[in-house]
Amino acid sequence: MLRRLMMGTLFATGISLAAVSTAPADPINLTIGKLLELTGPLSETGPSQDKAIKLAIDYANKAAAAAGVDIKAADVGADVQGDPQAALSAARALVAKGASCLIGPSITPESIAIANGLTIQKKITIWPVGTSMRLRTIKDEGTIFRTVPPDSLQALALVAGIIDKLGTASGKLVSIAYRNEPYGEGLAKDFKAAWEAKGGKTQGPVVFDPNQATFDSEAGEIVANNPDAYVIIDYPDTFAKLGASLVRTGKFDATKLFVPDALAFSTVPGNIPAQAIEGARGTRGGTPTDTDAYKVFDKLWETAGGAEHFSLDANSFDSTTLCMLAAVAGKSADPAAIQEHVRAVTTPGAPKFYLTTLSDAFKAVAGGEKIDYVGVAGAFEFAANGDPTISRFDIFEYRAGKLAVLKQIDAAK
Amino acid sequence: MIEEASAPPSPRWHSRLPPAAWLALVIIAALALLAGVKGPVEAGQATINGLVDAGYVALGAVGLTLIFGILRIINFAHGDFLTLGAYVALMIAASGLPIWLAAALAILVTAAVAAALDKLVWEPMRRMQTSTLQLLLAAIGIALVLRYTIQFFAGSQVRSFGQDILSAVNLGPWHLGTLQLVALLAGIALIVAVGLGLRFTAVGKQMRALSDNMALAEVTGIDTRGAIRLTWIVAGALAAIAGILYAAAVGTINPNFGSLILLSLFTAAVLGGIGNAYGALLGGIVIGLAQEWSTLFLNARWKPAVGFAILILTLLVLPRGIFGRVPART
Repeated sequence: MLRRLMMGTLFATGISLAAVSTAPADPINLTIGKLLELTGPLSETGPSQDKAIKLAIDYANKAAAAAGVDIKAADVGADVQGDPQAALSAARALVAKGASCLIGPSITPESIAIANGLTIQKKITIWPVGTSMRLRTIKDEGTIFRTVPPDSLQALALVAGIIDKLGTASGKLVSIAYRNEPYGEGLAKDFKAAWEAKGGKTQGPVVFDPNQATFDSEAGEIVANNPDAYVIIDYPDTFAKLGASLVRTGKFDATKLFVPDALAFSTVPGNIPAQAIEGARGTRGGTPTDTDAYKVFDKLWETAGGAEHFSLDANSFDSTTLCMLAAVAGKSADPAAIQEHVRAVTTPGAPKFYLTTLSDAFKAVAGGEKIDYVGVAGAFEFAANGDPTISRFDIFEYRAGKLAVLKQIDAAK
Repeated sequence: MIEEASAPPSPRWHSRLPPAAWLALVIIAALALLAGVKGPVEAGQATINGLVDAGYVALGAVGLTLIFGILRIINFAHGDFLTLGAYVALMIAASGLPIWLAAALAILVTAAVAAALDKLVWEPMRRMQTSTLQLLLAAIGIALVLRYTIQFFAGSQVRSFGQDILSAVNLGPWHLGTLQLVALLAGIALIVAVGLGLRFTAVGKQMRALSDNMALAEVTGIDTRGAIRLTWIVAGALAAIAGILYAAAVGTINPNFGSLILLSLFTAAVLGGIGNAYGALLGGIVIGLAQEWSTLFLNARWKPAVGFAILILTLLVLPRGIFGRVPART
């Protein structure tokens, strides 16, 4: 009797195991939230970020379908307005609409407000485009993944870019100015340390309140002592005014100006005076443009029309793709399952997959394999704090109002 | 209350000096000291920058001080009237009209909106004899309605008049933007015109009478309703002019710009002495110079804090502001 019972139990267990392994997985209906800077100081970035996320969803949906993986992603978006409180409200609205992961925002205080007020508690991953090191001062419990290299590396890239122009840092004076925000404060501090470590000298920093009517005194301080270079860390809306004030000093030379990623535009906005930026150089998170993945991404971008390329659009594209891969790995659109499986799709040493082999990546992940997905911007292989290990930056120059990439560097080397 | 520039006579010579003269002496002495410490070029440039700031703030503050002086309304919507004026001018100019014509039409539109709001909101509230708190809340409500209406129609993105903000006037080693100079001179001229109008015209005298005692003004036959309506029209027009000049000289604006400078406008109005047009100018000058002079010694990030510290200090010494007058005992 006991033997018969055991046999029956084993048979029943076998049947149920077979059912698990052969039955199709439940379809995953994933909603991806877009935290966009449609208004506010970084409103120039909103349209390109929106486009990047939509393109990624569309491409990944097709790739998953081709692989026979039953995931269907859709997007919902909201304007974060460049304001932490508005960003938190926007994030809440997106989560109420079912968003399981949130791509963006671009300003670090917004990300911090969202993390502290919402996403840490609900284990929702956010994928900010903001590069400030201030983001890593909060205990995010593994919910914040950045596909953009942080400002500690951008500071090194800026140093390399200026040395590239001046020939040396030794004895060269750089005037530093920044908008009074964590982004500017952190980057200016890292830059100053890195520049002085190379034997350079600095003056300032001139720290300005973005809500002022005029910036004439600040402009006078920036150009004082005829420095060899200026590093100005600002957003487009304020730089339209500060740039005019700099030109009015009569002592400003735009070819000595170096700017970071927030002032990197494919085409210089019309409200920024050309004399304030033509010939200026800068840095931004770089995307390798000689890869097949970039060619596919760029073709998608050009075919879609609309917004021009902007800094870090490839990174938002990659963040979206990673969110979808993690959902498939976790076999669920549940935010916690996605968070748990992000590292399973970016595992160092695991088989590498690319945008060009995204279908295969979906198939492998659906089969329970660990993979190392290499995005358009590079391999992420997240560090313990959720920052990527990539450190590629563009060094660019403004020529005839357009951004021209001069070279790409690896800031960590 | 609407006040005049002169102080009551006093037997002592230093008491006979009007506040404006005292202030001028203090400014000249401070400038001489700064020139000695920091050099004439740096001190002079900071002074010019301070006067430019003062021009923006003072013109915006005049309408605010008129409304409070006459109607006792702390008009939190005033900053948004600056925004309205600038945006209406932008929208009209976008249709192809010359900028001067667009500006003139925008001033009329803003004045009309101010008059309409008086009819729709303020007049009923006056009739109901609502409290100061209720008036304050109504003003905040109007501010938000105006701001979001502008955002709805014009969007939230940065806008520009497209004027040449790069050209500068060089005065030896000093410089200031051409449009900044225009805004400063236009602001001073308008403030003087408002001051003279209040003092010498019949309408101005009616406004001052209203400010002193509305009930008494009414029984003496003054058309109080008309005078109040005119006050709103003048305040609306001045706000529009301030907004347009600010937008043209600064270069770029967004729908929040009026609300962002509102605190500076209040500071200038309170410092100068509520209700006094010249007071708004002097209040603006004090704030502008203090903030810009502070950059000679402190990082520019402290500018706003310095401005408000000056406000607190001045109010400790002169609780009614520079032109403030102790009300006559009855």
